[in-house]
Amino acid sequence: MNRLALRFGIMMTIVALAATLAGIWLAASDRENTSRAMLRPDRVMTVFPDPKPMRAFALTDHQNRVFDLSRLQGKWSFLFFGFTHCPDVCPTTLAELARARDDIARNSVGAEDVQFVFISVDPNRDTAGKLGQYVTYFHTTFLGVTGNDAQIAKLAAQLDAAYQVAFTPGMENYPVYHTTTVFLVDPRARYHAMFTPPLDAEAIARRFKVLRELEGAKAT
Amino acid sequence: MRWRHTISVCLVLALTPFPAASEEADVAVRDAWVREPPPGMTMMAGFMTLRNNSSRPQVLVSASSSGFETVMIHRTIVKDGMTGMVHAPQVELAPKASLIFAPGGYHLMLINPNRTLRAGDRVVINLEFRGGLVLPVACEVRK
Repeated sequence: MNRLALRFGIMMTIVALAATLAGIWLAASDRENTSRAMLRPDRVMTVFPDPKPMRAFALTDHQNRVFDLSRLQGKWSFLFFGFTHCPDVCPTTLAELARARDDIARNSVGAEDVQFVFISVDPNRDTAGKLGQYVTYFHTTFLGVTGNDAQIAKLAAQLDAAYQVAFTPGMENYPVYHTTTVFLVDPRARYHAMFTPPLDAEAIARRFKVLRELEGAKAT
Repeated sequence: MRWRHTISVCLVLALTPFPAASEEADVAVRDAWVREPPPGMTMMAGFMTLRNNSSRPQVLVSASSSGFETVMIHRTIVKDGMTGMVHAPQVELAPKASLIFAPGGYHLMLINPNRTLRAGDRVVINLEFRGGLVLPVACEVRK
């Protein structure tokens, strides 16, 4: 009886000790990983451990300037594919991105090194003039970009951005399907992360600022 | 004249967002709004919360408005990693349940407004239910 109680006591002590040690170890490894924690994919953002360098492409922005690979260098670029005749998803996303940009701008580093680019997959209806009116309505700094089908595909393929334009001659409101993912390209023109809906401006801004800080620290 | 009529309808609706259950209030609508369109855009989306106060299903079959050339009931769907819109021929409201028309889901697709709508404007959209119930809904244009 007594021996049994003693054995039980020893066993419990060992269990308690093991639990404490495990707790300490977990806490330590957690501290170590706080900066890495953001790299884990979650509902807000997926950061790629090996950012993929973007390759050549050529589109035209809403001011009729060439928008090619060089325009992705030196800036963090948030890219979103859509079309101006989209009444629901595109305005929702662009309004959220506008709020994210304002949030990023309030940070001490600011938003000088950030650009938001709306890529229209519907060049048939989205002329440069229309695109300009559309994107700047959401934020004066936003850029609208488009090109012909092959030119758009060349950029979209690099990001695995899916879209489909069911263009029907004579039909005014033909359907357009497109990914609602927001792609983030870093200042070295590497596809670095993506944001998947539901998009939340605060969450995007918060996670972006941490990533920018980490990458900035790495660079210096 | 017509404008004044519209205003009075808006006021009545604004003052009674959720009318007490009665014969006319089998279905109640609140928080109805239309997203302000970017300049030059003629496609807009309307959102709202529908509440079926009755003890039987209510089926929304169509919507119309004198303020738009076309009004359709649409739903945003995700297919093969892409988002698109499909026409919803009818939307059933379960008894004593609410259904929300919200960004990314059901919405009223509003095409070609007959005047430029800006935040703060109001526009009336008529919801038609199976069985003949027509519900005028005052929607506020919001940014």
